[in-house]
Amino acid sequence: MTLSATDRVTRRGRHLWRTPEFTLGVIVATGFLALAFATGGNLLSAGTLEAFFRFLAVPIVIGLSQMVVLAVGQMNLSVGALTGFCAMAAAWLMIEAGFPAPVAVPAALLLGLVAGLINGALVVLTRINGFIVTLATMTIIQGLRYGVNGPDTYQGYSEGLRAFGRASILGLPAVFLVAIAVAVAVALFFSRTVTGRQLLASGGSPFAARLSGISNDRSVIIAHGLSGLLAGVAAVITVSASGSVNATIGDDLLLPSFAAPIIGGVALTGGMVSVAGTVLAAFLVRLVDVMQAQFGINPRWVDLIIGAVVLGAVLLGTIRQRVRERST
Amino acid sequence: MPLWANPRVGLVVLLVLLVALFSTIRPAFLDTRLTLTPLQSDISVYLVIGLAQMSVLSLGHMNMAVGRMAATSAFAMGLVHHTLGAGLLVSLFTGLVVGAGLGALAGLIISRTGVNSFVVTLAMDFALVGLITILYTGVVDGVAFPTMPAGMEALRFDTFADYCAGEICGPRIPLVAPFALAAALLTGLLFRWSRVGREILMTGSSPRAAELSGIPTRGRVVQAHALSGLLAALAGFLLAANNGAFSAGIGDGFLLPSFLAPVLGGTLLAGGAVSVLGTVLGATLTQVIYKGLNLLQFQLDRLQLYIGLVLLAALSLDRARHVLAGRREAAP
Repeated sequence: MTLSATDRVTRRGRHLWRTPEFTLGVIVATGFLALAFATGGNLLSAGTLEAFFRFLAVPIVIGLSQMVVLAVGQMNLSVGALTGFCAMAAAWLMIEAGFPAPVAVPAALLLGLVAGLINGALVVLTRINGFIVTLATMTIIQGLRYGVNGPDTYQGYSEGLRAFGRASILGLPAVFLVAIAVAVAVALFFSRTVTGRQLLASGGSPFAARLSGISNDRSVIIAHGLSGLLAGVAAVITVSASGSVNATIGDDLLLPSFAAPIIGGVALTGGMVSVAGTVLAAFLVRLVDVMQAQFGINPRWVDLIIGAVVLGAVLLGTIRQRVRERST
Repeated sequence: MPLWANPRVGLVVLLVLLVALFSTIRPAFLDTRLTLTPLQSDISVYLVIGLAQMSVLSLGHMNMAVGRMAATSAFAMGLVHHTLGAGLLVSLFTGLVVGAGLGALAGLIISRTGVNSFVVTLAMDFALVGLITILYTGVVDGVAFPTMPAGMEALRFDTFADYCAGEICGPRIPLVAPFALAAALLTGLLFRWSRVGREILMTGSSPRAAELSGIPTRGRVVQAHALSGLLAALAGFLLAANNGAFSAGIGDGFLLPSFLAPVLGGTLLAGGAVSVLGTVLGATLTQVIYKGLNLLQFQLDRLQLYIGLVLLAALSLDRARHVLAGRREAAP
């Protein structure tokens, strides 16, 4: 559900079925069912369904990674590159340095966190727009990512980790459950913790937040740190689910990272988040992907459709807001 | 403001230092045929794409689709030549119209709906990236047009030194450079002297105040975005001339440099102010760094690393200068 700092005070009589997430949920469910029918039930066969959810994990986490910085009114262009860099670093630790997976995984997460904190610290210290700072760090991280192993591929690392990537619990891939757990944790962070509420307050109105004794600088650093950490999670999921990694990992993640929260109803101006919306939007984008694969459509149409969906979702949101403003 | 607080001066100093450094380590850096002429061709392309981004930064907007607008326009140029046999000028003109049209469309959506320009142009980028490949596959069954209008070859290889009037030949400046210079000059004139340009800047610095002063802000938004699309199309044309083909890959690497040039040159993301001269210097600086590191045989990864670091350093310096200048002014 969309969540902003003032929610608990001001939201009254807003029913579940009037929320944007409900609309999105209906669209996703309808799309899923329609696709299941259109493919003659092929989508529901165990293998297809599992692949569907397995490749949903990274889009969800990377969308959340962008969402937490959008919450404070910032952007993080380095999410994709950082995911790739953390993935390469984890693989390097396991193959070249000979560490076991239980060391490599926390190390990748830590690396993501540190890189995110550096992003945040640079934004706060230099007062340069976060868009430009992360544009610069994106370039730097792309260089580092390539520097780990050049153009070569790492494969054949930790059997345990790859087994985890292939594992399923109750028919759902383990990596997908990890992504859902992360989403729940992020949702609880924003709805239940003081720090989470402070982030939303900073994003909604930095001036009011400062008057209430919240440090906006701290909020920006925390948001960027969290974003980096989530990129680290996406990296671990990529490493375990794909079985091999190279320096191109993350190149195709930047645009989807924005698409998910934006379709999910998160405003770029900050001050609000929607974990459910972001997850559902990632689901929707994945549906388009699968549709393409099932019907053998030119993969390029996917980008075209997603572009239209992003724009459509935003337009719908604006229209909805105008209607609401007029009715009150 | 004191002279040292001007970001452009810092850029010139940095530029001189870097050129001195590169040419000491590698004297080949000053070789006209090998380095300087190709360098000017590159600068021309990235200057124009920087100007394209600058046109919307003036509003406080962004154009995330600059690369794809360039690619779509390049496709249009290739198409009219391929199917109708159009010449160089007609092709160029068609491409520019298509680019301006795409930009105007983005501007129209932004101004009508009030949706953030970042989102609109990002969605447009998504849509166009798909469309371009479909179009190329549909028309030429490949990723590039096989032929180019007559004259593109000359634009690619010739310099003014190849054209002589009697004994006197021109300097070794590539033929694409005047296109970029003209674009920079016209954009500068537009923002400094024309009513439309001034009103775009006012809209950028405060949309509400502009609206209240009777400026048709919606129209200005559309015009600024159309200008951005037009310049993106020109950049696509220049890159096609440098590469020797109208291909689907044009514009792939435009996004980062398009921000680098104006931002290094002191144009703010907040809108309301632009610096054409700064954009020229910013584009030159980034291309000099690329070329220099290339000559020093840096690997791709090091190249990106240093570009990113130089960008951060330049921006931080600029910021420090700003703060210092502010203090100097505040002190009696």
